[in-house]
Amino acid sequence: MSTPNDAVSIPRRAEVIREFKGRGGRVAAVLPIHYPRALFRAFDILPVEVWGPPKIDASSAATHLQPYICSIARNALAFVLGGGLDVADLIIVPHTCDSLQGLASVLIDFITPARPVYPIYLPRGNRPSDLTFLASELRSLSNRLEQLTAYTPSETRLMECIEQEEAADRWLADLHQRRTELPLSQYDLYRVLRSREFLPADRLCALAETIIARAGGYPRRDDIPVLMSGIVPEPMEMLRSLEKMGGRVASDDFACCGRRLYPAGRSSEPFVRMAESIIQGPPDPMRGCSIQDRLAHLARLAGTSGARGVVFYTIKFCEPELFQLPALRTGLQEIGVRTLNLEVDLSDPLSQSALTRLEAFLEMIG
Amino acid sequence: MSIGGLVSYHWNVNVFGKVALRGRRWRAELRGNRSRRSSDLAPPLRITPRTKELIFSHYLQGRYANLRRKVAWVTSGAPVEFLRALDFFVLYPENHAAVCGTTRVAEEICGEAEKAGYSRDICSYARTDIGSVLSGRTPAGRLPRPDLLVACTNICQTVLFWYQVLADRLKVPLILIDTPFIYSEAQEHAIEYVRRQLEESVPVAEQVAKQSLDERRLRDVTRHSRDAVELWMQILDRAVHRPAPISAFDQFIHMAPVVEMRGEAYTVDFYSRMLKEVDDRVAGGVGAVRNEKKRLLWDNLPIWYRLRYLAELLGRRGVALIASTYTNAWGELAPMIDPERPFESAARTYLHPILNRGTGHKLATMKRLAERYGIDGVILHSDRSCKPYSIGQVDQCARLARECGLPSLLLEADHSDPRAFSEEQAANRLGAYLELLGV
Ligand code: SF4
Ligand code: SF4
Repeated sequence: MSTPNDAVSIPRRAEVIREFKGRGGRVAAVLPIHYPRALFRAFDILPVEVWGPPKIDASSAATHLQPYICSIARNALAFVLGGGLDVADLIIVPHTCDSLQGLASVLIDFITPARPVYPIYLPRGNRPSDLTFLASELRSLSNRLEQLTAYTPSETRLMECIEQEEAADRWLADLHQRRTELPLSQYDLYRVLRSREFLPADRLCALAETIIARAGGYPRRDDIPVLMSGIVPEPMEMLRSLEKMGGRVASDDFACCGRRLYPAGRSSEPFVRMAESIIQGPPDPMRGCSIQDRLAHLARLAGTSGARGVVFYTIKFCEPELFQLPALRTGLQEIGVRTLNLEVDLSDPLSQSALTRLEAFLEMIG
Repeated sequence: MSIGGLVSYHWNVNVFGKVALRGRRWRAELRGNRSRRSSDLAPPLRITPRTKELIFSHYLQGRYANLRRKVAWVTSGAPVEFLRALDFFVLYPENHAAVCGTTRVAEEICGEAEKAGYSRDICSYARTDIGSVLSGRTPAGRLPRPDLLVACTNICQTVLFWYQVLADRLKVPLILIDTPFIYSEAQEHAIEYVRRQLEESVPVAEQVAKQSLDERRLRDVTRHSRDAVELWMQILDRAVHRPAPISAFDQFIHMAPVVEMRGEAYTVDFYSRMLKEVDDRVAGGVGAVRNEKKRLLWDNLPIWYRLRYLAELLGRRGVALIASTYTNAWGELAPMIDPERPFESAARTYLHPILNRGTGHKLATMKRLAERYGIDGVILHSDRSCKPYSIGQVDQCARLARECGLPSLLLEADHSDPRAFSEEQAANRLGAYLELLGV
């Protein structure tokens, strides 16, 4: 059964950027996955994320990257080359994986776009040394931003921004948790959740508040709940197809969504606090989490959301995801949770055979 | 470790194994150079039987290691000195995978991992190792079970994912040494981070080893590491001579000890002998390729299962492949190793391998090697399995041609998995390239 679908009004990414720049702010194009939003906001920089983007002609990327590099990296590069990021004042590339490491390096050393490219290294553990390192890495990024903007935010300003982002994270977590009560189709739900990729924190909070105010009062859905795991739910039409087939995303472990439900940091030192928040986020292979931590997390998500199966929505050539997949599938199957793996390429529409497999999976678990 | 186990180890490794391997080497040395190698190439180095003896002996010790010592499996770029000082037997799954590649069993062993759900899109070294763990298959007879895993991200992030799979399957502790990637210069907080992780690793390793780290022993091991690495660099550097006394193919074969036996006195002794032999070749004007007309540089891992094919194909045309960024990587960091400051210097050294540095640095390294060795062209192996080494090659290839006038070829393959290599396509591309070089 489909849900009531009151189309939700989400500002368009281009409008948000225009408005923000119109009042003198700067924009940072940010590649996946983890980065300190608050730090940028303290410099009056709006981070706008680039997940691909999907469905673009990525052939120009072949002038720099081999075909066995994932489509997130290839599409991002094609987007840069095609002028898609010209609106940005700087490009941020978190060190997420070997592919983004290489992309950042190629941008810095060979392509040298007109705007600066700043990488951020993310430690792969959650030991005290990882926290100390990440806090220093964020300080070092802050120094670069100071040079770029000729502005030094006060510690108070930085803490204000951190608190704003923490508030936005809480609203986001609420949206995730109360998703079944929201008057949104799967497609619109993910448009809302993913607006975190470009909306300033205050606007995200306002949007979430409006939507949550309309929560409840909708009949309990009897469609088939699944947990989805992967990098990004692109192409987003997949969500429409899922809904048409009688499925629903009960919970997610997408790198762009569920894996970024950061808890608030605790320190009163701003850099340590931002680092704590990132390091203590949900298990993510790109931050070095162990297979067992991830498995326990997925099992918990499936259990609490009532998901009857897990769909791994994998991007071709994405090693960080591919390595953990067999153990996760086996582990979930051992506790009675069925799994499906769909491999996608951001440049291609979802294939008919992938849709058929998804439908068959829903029938099997439904 | 039971008395029976110790006796078995001693008999199989120190008595029977040693005698058998030594006998085998002597026979090979007596036979001399009656190899099947093409007449366009110099005979294999005289040291080759000794290299084989070292490698066989290493795997033989490994076979029985669980009976006598604690075993650590480590990534190829991992700081190994503190493990050796704690008397671990150290195994390098990447080296084992390379042996599987050279002996052409990698494809079948990868198949075991693929059957268990590991995608063909992940590194073939990892697939080989996981396949070997799952099936027990190895050309080495048997691999020792690890008591400890050490993954250092200074070559790629892949190793962390791979070692997490091992830790999960084998239920052994995993030490992570995370080495922030250097886009331009290493920052102080990154060096401090690596140093701190190294120091934090020691108690974990000590607990597994059931002994304390002896600092004097650590300094000795570090000294042996440095000496071996320095000798290796000198050997590579002899390729400045014309004709070049050894080829990159020789380097690929003889690099195993500097990778997996770093820190041992016998490795230093081995490379001293090898250097002497290479110097004899220089003095005698012996070239690795008999009629050297052109000199090439190789980038990236070797194509293990086609070493001979490529050596002969190039040798026939008088082309000597004399240097490689890969073998150079095992020597260029020697000046950073300081036995008197083992942790501080290890933090710097293990942060700086070429694979942990930007694509521009790799281009600069290739230009430097090209200049030093009088290189006429570059073959960049675009290795489907090794994304961190391969990303950047498209630009590097174009810039080597444009900025240095070096004809450069991007050759698609995979270091271990022959399914990603088309001999026909490679022959066509190489043929056209050699024509361009005028040979
Ligand atoms: S899809 Fe995977 S490989 Fe590609 S950028 Fe994202 S994490 Fe890296
Ligand atoms: S990805 Fe490359 S560096 Fe990493 S293990 Fe594989 S071959 Fe080695």
